[in-house]
Amino acid sequence: MDTDMSGADTLGMESLSGSRPDSRFRGFWTQILLTGSVVIGIFLIWELLSSWEVITGSRLSFWPEIVLSKPSEIIPAFFEAISTGFVLWHFWVTFQETAIGFVIGAGGGFLLGTYVALVPTFRKAFYPVIILFQSTPRVALAPVFIAWFAFGIASKIALAATICFFPVLINTITGLTVIDENAGLLMRSLKATRWQTFRHLRLPSSVPTVFAGLKAALTFALIGAIVGELTATNEGAGHLIETAAFQFRSDDVFAYLLMLALIGLALFLVAAWLERKLLFWHVDLDEAT
Amino acid sequence: MVSEPPLTGSSRRYIPGRSPALAVDRITQVFEKNGEPLVALRDVSLEVRQGEFLTLVGPSGCGKSTLLKIIAGLLNPTAGSVYLEGNEVTEPREEIGLMFQTSTLFPWRNVIRNISLPLEITGTMEADGDKRIADVIELVRLEGFEQHYPRELSGGMQQRVALCRLLVSEPDLMLLDEPFGSLDEFTREHLNTELARIAEHEHKTTVFVTHNIREAVFLSDRVAVMGTTPGRILDLVEVDLPRPRVPGSRRLVEYTETVNYIREVLGLF
Repeated sequence: MDTDMSGADTLGMESLSGSRPDSRFRGFWTQILLTGSVVIGIFLIWELLSSWEVITGSRLSFWPEIVLSKPSEIIPAFFEAISTGFVLWHFWVTFQETAIGFVIGAGGGFLLGTYVALVPTFRKAFYPVIILFQSTPRVALAPVFIAWFAFGIASKIALAATICFFPVLINTITGLTVIDENAGLLMRSLKATRWQTFRHLRLPSSVPTVFAGLKAALTFALIGAIVGELTATNEGAGHLIETAAFQFRSDDVFAYLLMLALIGLALFLVAAWLERKLLFWHVDLDEAT
Repeated sequence: MVSEPPLTGSSRRYIPGRSPALAVDRITQVFEKNGEPLVALRDVSLEVRQGEFLTLVGPSGCGKSTLLKIIAGLLNPTAGSVYLEGNEVTEPREEIGLMFQTSTLFPWRNVIRNISLPLEITGTMEADGDKRIADVIELVRLEGFEQHYPRELSGGMQQRVALCRLLVSEPDLMLLDEPFGSLDEFTREHLNTELARIAEHEHKTTVFVTHNIREAVFLSDRVAVMGTTPGRILDLVEVDLPRPRVPGSRRLVEYTETVNYIREVLGLF
């Protein structure tokens, strides 16, 4: 009868080891290589099609140069732009609008979301209103904010804040409200107070959902700032792009767009890094990124 | 590893004749389902003795988990009462500890901080928290896993941590709702043996819910066999297996006979 016991002690004791660090490292460089190839490939095809006339000597051209520049002109324009003081100043304005708008909008969304999630009556009253606002295209508010806050930086901050307010608000409400049923029962059986349940269960388990909202909001804030600038202003990246497009400086337009794309990417990478730090415990993380 | 004593003599842990630790008095629970009343439990009465290990066994829908929630004070019954040491249970109580089919560990806390959760909630961490945690980790044999996070542990290990979290608050009454229900057969049997060892060490009044008849017989002093529509107790079966329970207990004639008897009560033959 001792056969049952021997060796059985290890049953249920095995721990599942995660992926080895060196394989993760190799995965990173593979990723860089693959993505790099795609980007270079697109640029090559773009360059080829733009220069079709010159290369083949035919009279066929796919698009006029003033509409869409070729990479060999955009890239020098890009390097010139990032070393030009006034261009950088305009982008700095946009960055400020985005950052301040994000902090106000996301912060407000989180605070109101917390309040709405924790007070059931409030939740019932507010939720339909929130959904109504959520389904309104908020960039349409740009002219309204220009009228309210004039042409300066304030109207762009207001638009950026409004746009990134809602994803954070809704994800905060969802994250704080939807909790594991048994975890809720566990806290009740331990006679946890409302504050303890919030502090130890609701808040930590809401982090993945709230973070998804924050990541969306980051991109939205940039969109808000740019749309605001396109609507009416004399400063910011949106203004630069509009002016360049108006003067048919296609190479500059795309150089600025490239800068915006890189800013967006940088913001996303910061968010992703923070998510890894904060959500190291989250099971879905490996599959998600 | 537990040394196996000879399987002779029967040592009951409860003392017959003493007042019951837990009394379930004519509990009826009616739910509303699609506008129709659904009787989950009808007139269920039960007494659990001090230090006794009692299992509720029955098919899905017999209301065994509902009964456990009522005993825990998490659900108020339509009619009837639950008494713990003579006091009526109407809300969750600190003396009652719970464990579920899912480990319900907090993934953002490592093993040791999951176990310390009940002590943090009740504010008893400062007193002798660290020592109590070290004791249960030793008892449940989790040494070396203190700093692991739940995602790094197998299902069986996660349930060990959940058991630690239950034991650390030193409840008078332990309620276990199919704690090994989602584990494979080998891990389940192994953890049954472990739970039997721990239960004999702790001498705690325990109500265990399962639909696994062999598990019920192996662990229990008595088995309450439940039937469906409406949920009710069909029979209370004394398990005449000697303690301590060890893997070899499953070879005894009494084990097989009790399993077969319960199968008969449930109409499985």
